[in-house]
Amino acid sequence: MLKMTHLSKVYRTEVVETYALRDFNIDVKEGEFVAVTGPSGSGKTTFLTIAGLLETFTGGEYHLDGMEVSQLNDNARSKIRNEKIGFIFQAFNLIPDLNVFDNVEVPLRYRGMKTPERKERIMNALERVGLASRAKHYPAELSGGQQQRVAIARALAGSPRLLLADEPTGNLDTQMARGVLELLEEIHREGATIVMVTHDPELAARAQRNVHIIDGQVVDLAEDPRFHTAYTAAAGQVRG
Amino acid sequence: MQIRPILATLKHHKAGTLLIALQIALTLAIVCNALFIIHQRLAHLSQPTGLDESHLLVIQNQWANKPTKGDISSLLADDLATLRKVPGVANAYATDGYPLSSGGITYGIGHSPDKLNFVSNTAIYFADENALPTLGLKLVAGRNFRSDEIGEIGGRDKIAPQVLIITSELARRLFPGESAVGKMAYVSDKPSIIIGVVERMQTPYVDSAMAQWSDCSTLMPFHQLVTPTNYVVRAQPGQLDDVAKRVRAALYAANRLRVISPEDGVKTFAQVRAQAYKSDRGMAILMASISVILLAITAAGIVGLTSFWVGQRRKQIGVRRALGATRHDILSYFLTENLLIGVGGVLLGGVLALGLNLWLMKQFEMARLAPGYVLAGVVTLLLLGQCAVLAPALRASNVPPVEATRSV
Ligand SMILES: Nc1ncnc2c1ncn2[C@@H]1O[C@H](COP(=O)(O)OP(=O)(O)OP(=O)(O)O)[C@@H](O)[C@H]1O
Ligand SMILES: [Mg+2]
Repeated sequence: MLKMTHLSKVYRTEVVETYALRDFNIDVKEGEFVAVTGPSGSGKTTFLTIAGLLETFTGGEYHLDGMEVSQLNDNARSKIRNEKIGFIFQAFNLIPDLNVFDNVEVPLRYRGMKTPERKERIMNALERVGLASRAKHYPAELSGGQQQRVAIARALAGSPRLLLADEPTGNLDTQMARGVLELLEEIHREGATIVMVTHDPELAARAQRNVHIIDGQVVDLAEDPRFHTAYTAAAGQVRG
Repeated sequence: MQIRPILATLKHHKAGTLLIALQIALTLAIVCNALFIIHQRLAHLSQPTGLDESHLLVIQNQWANKPTKGDISSLLADDLATLRKVPGVANAYATDGYPLSSGGITYGIGHSPDKLNFVSNTAIYFADENALPTLGLKLVAGRNFRSDEIGEIGGRDKIAPQVLIITSELARRLFPGESAVGKMAYVSDKPSIIIGVVERMQTPYVDSAMAQWSDCSTLMPFHQLVTPTNYVVRAQPGQLDDVAKRVRAALYAANRLRVISPEDGVKTFAQVRAQAYKSDRGMAILMASISVILLAITAAGIVGLTSFWVGQRRKQIGVRRALGATRHDILSYFLTENLLIGVGGVLLGGVLALGLNLWLMKQFEMARLAPGYVLAGVVTLLLLGQCAVLAPALRASNVPPVEATRSV
């Protein structure tokens, strides 16, 4: 479903070049639920934005659903984002001027879907996340957990094959976070591929597979010496 | 399209939306009335006098020493002879006034001596047998004056001409459907015979209040023995400027006891025309300037507000891009948004335009605004809006999708 080989991403500013990702390799199979963890600044968000075609990369290869994406133009990338990918952001990113119904409708409109089908999909998605009764509410009138569920409904409405979530529970308390995770698990059971970035080891543990990123590279937790150093240091701090 | 959600969004930005819509409405109301006024003034300005203007110049001559009526008779004859001898002069005659001279005599002309029962107003021009060839007036029926028909009158004498030459417009009013030549008409208590009809000769007045009879003029066969006297001089082709330079010197050389104003004693007809329509032209320029300024302010307002909105919505533009909007989708979002505000503005503006016109009609006797002007204004403002919004909308369409992941 999602395969990156020797991928690199360099951010260039006038003074410095930052390698956000380097020799980055990952292979997420269709139907997998992968949790991505790693320290702050390690490149998790960068990986997700490239995976979701929000950004281009500097080197290497990226095959999405069997297609090499570096050759695609802007319109083709928009179309893939719209049809194959669902995004869930840490900050929810609902459009404040639109009510819940209209927010969920946004990606469907860009797909040029007819009104009755749109309506049906929106109401189905809102029912899935348990917010059908809030369709006319505005984001500001909802709790954080509810807003994130609207965002999930928005990602779901288009029936994407791949769901990308960047710390979807980062702004939520434990109970709301658990609710959101249960929703993601349910979506996963229905066949979607999910890649979720999280800081929370408990949530990460519930995924099928964990991928750890350090310094822009995927590392094997068991073997990487840097992890041991980090781990030891952390352990030392706790002891001290 | 995405009209419903755009309207929903605008509901949350009422102040800016209303401000721009109102600005568009006011601009439309003022601009289409201004356009209308400009067009009317220009039409007014381009009304033909019926004269062969490009070959004419006029001289205003003031006699010194208060000459008597008898003196003026010979002074006039001498001057006309002098003028005809100036190289380049084709013809000349003396008169009290001429089209666009803005002052003159007005009579009622009708079928009976009853002064209250006239058919039409008419401007009166004193003329002799040289008037028609000098002015280049086109005789469409009858004949010109003969030299033996030209009489002399003083400033206060009663006027009772035996023969008249009138314009075709006046002839149509007096004798609709018939030839006026040979018929009688009254400008005094005695009847006058119409001997000729000229195609066209405008009155001295450009005032819109007298526009209804601006082509109703009458030529009377008199030399008016008053001071000042106007001479109308026809130059030979290509000689007008030279003649204009020569005539003053020639007249002074023949007789020093006169005043021909150094500023405007000698004027080409082009100068006469420019002077007569100065206020029309000024009004047209003023209206055009106001329109341009208003349009510029409205465009600037749209650019400003849209730029502000684009800045404010960067994040949600990124989110839309992330959710599958193409650049074109974003561009069309802002163009559509502007169009919706614009349509609201022009609907209101159309009503305001008609209201303003009604008020102008009442206050300044303006004509009723033709719907074409409102339509032209509507199209102009909607296009202006789309042009103004283009730059900020393009900027919006260049917001990268990754903007969605950036924290605020
Ligand atoms: N637009 C950018 N320009 C320059 N450098 C960037 C840009 N975006 C990210 N980086 C750099 O790339 C590296 C990876 O950043 P990224 O946001 O992917 O980390 P992250 O793992 O998501 O961190 P966090 O857990 O704090 O969200 C960081 O060093 C960051 O400073
Ligand atoms: Mg991040």
